[in-house]
Amino acid sequence: MKRTRWGGELLAGIVGLLITLGISFAVAVVLIVLLSRQPLTTIYYFFVGPFTNKYYFGNMLNTAIPLVFTGLGIAVAFKSSVFNLGGEGQVYAGGLVATVILLALPETGGYPGGVLALAAALGTGACLAGMSGLLKMKWDTDELISSFLISSAVIFFVNYFITGPLDDPASSMLATNAIGSQYHFLGIFPPSKLDISAVLAALAAGLVFFLMYYTHWGYEMRMCGLNREFSRYGGINVSTYVVLPMILSGALHGLAGGVAIMGTYHVAVKEFSFGMGWNGIAVALIARNNPLGVLPAAVFFAYLDAGAKAAMLHSDVTFEIAAVVQSVIFYLITAQALYGYMRYRKGSP
Amino acid sequence: MSSDSYLRMQGITKQYPENKVLANKRVDFTVEENEIHAVVGENGAGKTTLMKILYGLEQPDSGRILLRGREVRIHSPLDANRLGIGMVHQHFRLIPEFTIAENVVLGIEPRRRGIFFDREGAVRRVEEVIRRYGFAIAATLPVSRLTVGQMQLVEIIKILYREADLLILDEPTSVLTEQQIHKLFVTLEHLRGIGKTIVIITHKLGEVKAVSQRVTVMRKGEVVAVRNTAEVDERELSRLMVGKSVTFQFEREPLHRGRVVLELQDVVLRHKRQDHPLLDHLDLKVHAGEIVGVAGVSGNGLAELEDVVGGLRRVSEGRMLHDGMDITDLSAVQLRARGLAYVPADRLYRGSSLHASVLENMIISSHHDFLRGGIFQQQAVARFVDSLTGKFSIDGDPRVPIGTLSGGNIQKVILARELASQTDFIVFSEPTWGLDVASAEFIYKKILDIRRQGIAVLLISSNLDEILALCDTLVVLYRGRLVASLGNESDLSKELVGEYMMGLREDFPGRGGQTRGVSP
Repeated sequence: MKRTRWGGELLAGIVGLLITLGISFAVAVVLIVLLSRQPLTTIYYFFVGPFTNKYYFGNMLNTAIPLVFTGLGIAVAFKSSVFNLGGEGQVYAGGLVATVILLALPETGGYPGGVLALAAALGTGACLAGMSGLLKMKWDTDELISSFLISSAVIFFVNYFITGPLDDPASSMLATNAIGSQYHFLGIFPPSKLDISAVLAALAAGLVFFLMYYTHWGYEMRMCGLNREFSRYGGINVSTYVVLPMILSGALHGLAGGVAIMGTYHVAVKEFSFGMGWNGIAVALIARNNPLGVLPAAVFFAYLDAGAKAAMLHSDVTFEIAAVVQSVIFYLITAQALYGYMRYRKGSP
Repeated sequence: MSSDSYLRMQGITKQYPENKVLANKRVDFTVEENEIHAVVGENGAGKTTLMKILYGLEQPDSGRILLRGREVRIHSPLDANRLGIGMVHQHFRLIPEFTIAENVVLGIEPRRRGIFFDREGAVRRVEEVIRRYGFAIAATLPVSRLTVGQMQLVEIIKILYREADLLILDEPTSVLTEQQIHKLFVTLEHLRGIGKTIVIITHKLGEVKAVSQRVTVMRKGEVVAVRNTAEVDERELSRLMVGKSVTFQFEREPLHRGRVVLELQDVVLRHKRQDHPLLDHLDLKVHAGEIVGVAGVSGNGLAELEDVVGGLRRVSEGRMLHDGMDITDLSAVQLRARGLAYVPADRLYRGSSLHASVLENMIISSHHDFLRGGIFQQQAVARFVDSLTGKFSIDGDPRVPIGTLSGGNIQKVILARELASQTDFIVFSEPTWGLDVASAEFIYKKILDIRRQGIAVLLISSNLDEILALCDTLVVLYRGRLVASLGNESDLSKELVGEYMMGLREDFPGRGGQTRGVSP
């Protein structure tokens, strides 16, 4: 009986999400009808656009890739009840460090060079977020604030390097030199930009899921996240689990930056990763912090993005209108996810 | 009672839906105008619930409240304030960074031009209240600089500022030193002298005699006696509070006392905000095969002893030994590695993690045993969990969150987990609090089983019946001090232990008797 009650809650959650989806799409349709002179075309491209050709579809999936990494980073932190709001800076810095390494490596770096760059990106993110974890452990500094502040400062440093010492004067963009083509991830869905890192993202989600639910560290992280007093009582070294989840979270963010450079951008353009960190929070919320749920949640987010782009290209919708429609859907979904999450946290006696 | 009593609460019944505990059973409570009325009773007797109902923090299931003969409905503390009822909570609700004046006016601040906080006005008004009631304290002092006694005075000023005529004080003396208690009583007497009516909740009988005119005794949710304080002595009050012995029928095999397993030597625990030490030079030995019961009324050091022995709180002075080895500075992690088993009083937040599954709760202290290369061996976990659920007849799928189980079943899971560890020593704190009779009996049998296996047991409990039924040796804590160490012979009466608990007797005077002030 108790089991069915639990299963029922899960079902109710899914039904709730579907209802919210329905409502938000309806609201979006109403907005489009009000704001567009060719509403049918707009609606078509908004909702079906991403599926009309390989180019759109592949690019949509490609947009989802960094969001999978950042979403996972946030999910790991939230599951452990630590808060990493420094995603933006961690992704950006990770991307820059990967670029710098790939630019410095000799022409024939190949495989090991790519791995080294990704590792460095990962390490950069881990260090940045880990600092906030350590501050929390040593002096009880709120990691939510410190990660945000550190990240905000880091963004300016990265901007300085991209527009200053590392700027490619030959390029019209504010960007570094391009990395060697031997370091580009293999495209797997031409003509779209979708590349082999999609596999990496899926692997990462599986790995994080395994880590959280099947290993010692995951168990201790989750237990600390659910109830620190209980964990301390049970003999878990709780102060470790302020730092470790932050490091992991930062690592995943840094990786997002590295992967975006090697897969999509191939140069560190100023603010190339803008939004990836914040959107990761949204993705994790929709996924209710479930690492496997992050995959569909990231794709959904990317779908909204791709739909808006397609609508802008093919109908009279301006960027602003597309953004409004996109955010309405998004706010509703997030609110629903947030509500469910809060009810879950409050829950039972 | 005359029908024109100042306050009458009639037939108040309150059951908490969360744990189905009947906290108040048809309680009648009457307070006359201009008296100091004490409400006494053990933990869980229903005193605080009754006062929360009066102050609008809880709603009764049935019953009515008459103030000056007129029926009133009190839905919130705001209603209570409007009716002239104010309450000083056991734990102060002050903001340390604010001044006295700012704390006092918080919520009903005087304003300038409708929106700006009128700081000078606040100071002026609060100083006026202080002067009117004859206190001596500067309204501009920040609360962080005050002693505990002064903070309490601020709480009283706070309710006087709101023009309360009926003051409720919930265990006001538990954090005070003797001198501060004396000062408080002078204040209360003074307030009574100028026409206020005061209800004071306490467990301390000496204080009842010292300050009140009348006393209401509560036990297990009911009013068992109302007396004029002058006509009752402390022994009688103590007997009324603890009630008749309930004899549990348990066969306790004769004691085979083995080696000393746990020893506390001269343990002191201080708290920076409290002038009185929480544990005051405590000495205690627990032998293998022996159940040592620690009795006492809450607020006298039981919870702190639990924290210290459970490794969750460092002692300020003294040593703890396990099998002769110094464990004073070991963390909970290290104590767990030495086989510490511990069933905490707070089973919902410390003893279990409500959103985690039964399985995850069961392996919290032993999960290291199921790992290979950091990865859980699912089958080994399943075998372990199955054996525990079988042995303790815990029904249902172990993958459901433990929060969906009943209180009795949650406690069974905790017990199963703690008894599974290889240990020679186990701490129980309030093991049957709030449980139904069947669950309680199950737990008693388990505790006696453990004793038979030659394990040392420390049983901390404010339930005297439980302690008398199970223990070989019984010690009593009063104001953080050990005031008695008694063999649990058949002639040991509940009344006698009750007197120790209430501070009417003590066997070790002079031992750390002086309270030491902590310099600010």
